[in-house]
Parts: sequence; C-alpha cells; structure tokens
Amino acid sequence: EEESEESRPTFSFKSYMVQKANSVNQALDAAVSMKDPLKIHEAMRYSLLAGGKRVRPMLCIAACELVGGTEAIAMAAACAVEMIHTMSLIHDDLPCMDNDDLRRGKPTNHKVFGEDVAVLAGDALLAFAFEHIVVSTAGVPPARVVRAVGELARSIGTEGLVAGQVVDICSEGLSEVDLEHLEFIHQHKTAALLEGAVVLGAILGGGSNEEVEKLRRFARYIGLLFQVVDDILDVTKSSQELGKTAGKDLVADKVTYPKLLGIEKSREFAEKLNKDAQNQLSGFDPEKAAPLIALANYIAHRQN
Amino acid sequence: SSSVSTQFDLKGYWTTLIGEINQKLDEAIQVQYPEKIYEAMRYSVLAKGAKRAPPVMCVAACELFGGNRLAAFPTACALEMVHAASLIHDDLPCMDDDPSRRGLPSNHTIYGTDMAILAGDALFPLGFRHIVSHTPSDLVPDARLLRVITEIARAVGSTGMAAGQFLDLEGGPNAVEFVQEKKFGEMGECSAACGGLLAGAEDEEIQRLRRYGRAVGVLYQVVDEVLKEKMKNKEKEEAEKKGKSYVGLYGVEKAMEVAEELRTKAKKELDGFEKYGESVVPLYSFVDYAIDRGFSVGDAS
Repeated sequence: EEESEESRPTFSFKSYMVQKANSVNQALDAAVSMKDPLKIHEAMRYSLLAGGKRVRPMLCIAACELVGGTEAIAMAAACAVEMIHTMSLIHDDLPCMDNDDLRRGKPTNHKVFGEDVAVLAGDALLAFAFEHIVVSTAGVPPARVVRAVGELARSIGTEGLVAGQVVDICSEGLSEVDLEHLEFIHQHKTAALLEGAVVLGAILGGGSNEEVEKLRRFARYIGLLFQVVDDILDVTKSSQELGKTAGKDLVADKVTYPKLLGIEKSREFAEKLNKDAQNQLSGFDPEKAAPLIALANYIAHRQN
Repeated sequence: SSSVSTQFDLKGYWTTLIGEINQKLDEAIQVQYPEKIYEAMRYSVLAKGAKRAPPVMCVAACELFGGNRLAAFPTACALEMVHAASLIHDDLPCMDDDPSRRGLPSNHTIYGTDMAILAGDALFPLGFRHIVSHTPSDLVPDARLLRVITEIARAVGSTGMAAGQFLDLEGGPNAVEFVQEKKFGEMGECSAACGGLLAGAEDEEIQRLRRYGRAVGVLYQVVDEVLKEKMKNKEKEEAEKKGKSYVGLYGVEKAMEVAEELRTKAKKELDGFEKYGESVVPLYSFVDYAIDRGFSVGDAS
C-alpha cells in the first residue's frame, strides 16, 4: 500500500470535507427517523439536519482514522457529538437564554415549533446521543464504548459545555472580565465538545493512552482557536455572511477576544493556537494526520 | 403472598435505602466553580421528602436475583438525577408552568429559567457519567453497563418521558393513558429493568420486570391523584389541572378501580419470580404500599 504513494493524489481537503459531510449527513438522517410523536421528531430533525459544517463529526472520524480505526467505527460517536452540539444550540437560542431568531440561516427551533417542543427536542437529542453511541457503535470492545460514554458525558456537563454556558451567562454585563475568565468560558463552552469529538474518535479507534492524550491537547488548542475565530467573525462579518445574527456579542455586551485584545492581536493569538495544535500531531504519520491538520487550518481561516 | 409482605419491614428497608442513596447523591454533586449550577442541581436532586422510588426499585430488582446492592447504587443515583432533570424541565414556564414542586418553589422559581434549563441539561449526562465512573467493574461487566445506559436513555427520550410530556402539553383525544404510561410508567419500567440488567437477569425476566415496573409507576401516580383529589374536595376547590389525569377523566371511584387493576397486574408479574423466594418480597410490598400508604416515606430525612 505504501508503494502507491506516487499514484495517490495529494490530500484534497475540499473533497475530504464533502465526502465526510455527506456520509455524516446520511448517518444523521438515518439515525433520527420520523416516528410518534411526529412533532418532536420533526423538531429534532429540523435542527439536526439544518446543514451545519459538521466540524465535530469530522474531527471524530479523522481522529479515529488517525489511530488506525475506520469511519464506520467512529460514525455513531460522530453523530452523537453532533446531536449534543445541536441540542446545546437549540437550548442556547431559547428566549430565556440568548433569545436568537436565526440559526444556520433559518428560523431557530423554538420559532418554528414553540418553546416547549424546543426544550423537549433538545432533551430528546441529548438522551438519544447516548443511546445511539451505545447501540450503533459496532465492532468495538464494550470497554471502549463505556469509556467513550464517560468522556462524552463529561464534555457536556458541569465540567464541560454547561460550565461554559453558566459562566458566560453570569458574566454578561460585568465590567471586569479578564482573559483567564474568557478562556474558561471558551474552554468549556466550545472546546470541551470539540475535545470530546476528538477523544471519542481516538478511544473508539483503539488509540493508546498516549495517543489519546496528544489528541486531547490538539483538540483543546483548536477548541479555543474555534472561539477566537468566531469572536473575530462576529465583529467583521454580516449576519448574512454568517447565517446567524452578527454583532450579537456586542449587543449582549459580552466580552470577546477582539474586545480584550483588539482584532490584530486576536488574529495573532489564533495563529499561535493553530501552530500549538499542529505541534501535537508531529509524532503521527504525516499522511494520516493530513485531515486533522487541514481541519485545524480550516477552523483558523474559515469565513463563516 | 400478601401474608409474607405484611411481615416484611418495608419502612425500615425503604428508610435505610433512602439514607444511603441521599448520601451518595450528596457526594456525587459537590459544589464547585461555577457554584450556581451545582446549587441548582442539588436543590432539586436533594430536595427533602423525596421518596426515591426509582432508585429503591432498582436496588430491590437487582437484589431479587442475588445481585450486590453496591452494583446497583450508581445506576440508582443516575435514575434519580435524570428523573430530577425531567421534572425541572417539566415545571418550566414554557411547559407546565409550575411554580412549586413537592411543596417547595420549583427550580426556575429560585434559580431562574436559564439556570433551570442548564441544571436539567447537566443532570442527564451526570447520570450517565456517574454510572460509568462509579459502578464497580468487578461486579458488572461492561456489556451490561451499556444495556443499562441504553435503557435509561430510551426511557427519558423522544419515545419515552419526553413523548409523555409532549402529549400532556398538546392534549388530544384518548391521551390520558398514553401520557400516564409515558410520564410515570416509563420511569418505573426503566428502574426495575435496570436493576435486573445489573444483576444479569435473563431477558424474559427483564421483560417481566418491565411490565411490573410500568404498572407500579402508573399505580403510584393514579393513587397520588386520588389522594390529592380527596384533599381538594375537602376544600371545595374545583380547579382541575390542565394535565391529563385518570381522576380528571373518570372520577375518584373509577380511578381506584384502575389502581386495583394495576395492583393485580403488578403482583401477577411478580408471581413469576417465585423461585427466588423471600427476595421478591420488597417488590411486592411496593405494590401494596402504593395503595395503602400505611406510613410516610422520606419526610424524616
């Protein structure tokens, strides 16, 4: 197989993204089917299949493949992570939270289905993520799946996603929010689930503890990177370009990297995080690490 | 069977278990930064006077097959966490809009709607995590643990309790039985099944536990409604809640008939566990207690 290097084209990130996004979308579509009560499942599908970039599932699959696993092994976990991500967006958009009307260019879940159904659809996606990863992960020893369940749970609870949201809510309108505080918010609100995605893939793919921890550090860097870039885009792009309400951080009086560091320094910080992230991959086969490197670059340089 | 269960000290059994479960829940949710969310979670999970019916049933079902209580405790706690999570969300202004729960202000009344949503969102995964990190691996093989996780996820999910809550809000003809089965039967079914799974029971036995747990779960709710209605009548209060209830639909007398049918049904399932002898007694006594309510549970704690 190593001999075919000459005939193999260099890694094309674009076709990789398209191919993976397609298989993830298909898997998500199949995972959450329409059944009774129809309205809840419709609401779950509405947000889940709204065409996100599928960065988290891709990270999960790429990490799994990097340590010797396959796309098939990681797919249920990849979908589970996307379900959790979607669920957090649905709840985050609610009137009592961020009160957003627009998400991924479409009306938010509660705008279409009502607040009650939005809360329930989120809860149902959260529960189903765990059911799905357990029931649909095949060809992996149970011990790995158990470990993956524990990691997933940790990344979304009070030591992960929720902690970030709580501190974020509690800091709105505060006059003194420092960099450390901001980093806590993002390490939890955004980075934790990205870390979960990568670590789940690495565990299920059979990575050694050392490999899992290396990839965990990689994920932490790109998680923070993701948010720094998000903050920059929020002040430099329009709502239409973003597919969600732009400038809302300013309106909500939220602290952001551009606000604390200025745009230029924020961009420099982003570059440094990208470099630190990629350094974690140096011990792996460069060819196999190409998708993760490209994903890091994509997160750093995306325009929406 | 009823003569055996009268000799069994249900109150002692229940009270002891409640004490242990409360202590484990207390340890499982220790306040740390950011404090507010842990406080909100503790407020609902550790609310005084909770009967802890799901965890107690889980432990009893595990012990029926000779399973070690220590194998069941983490799952028992998880059941209480996910149960609390659904109750917190059910009470929200956009849902049942209930300002109180078990005689205390509901979670969002104290902590705000945003924190209440997040407290629920955090309790679901904490339950799963607790099972994974606390179940002694020498007592329960990983494959069984995965079945337990699936069982709980399904019970609270889009075809389980979430479906029940949805139909409760939406109404529609003949919704009552479905809503009761889903909102209350599901938790009982799941609790009993988890206990059996942890002990390594046969599939057929798990099915029996499911039917038993479902009947008992609905039974408690029906009797609770009857008791509430009787108190209400004394005060000559008309107000019927918008929620779907047997009492609201049939009246007290017919509701008690439904309760008796459920009692018979639940006990019939237990008759299939005859070979396990005395260890089935706690499960019988839960059934009788549901109707007799000979003492109050949980109040002392």
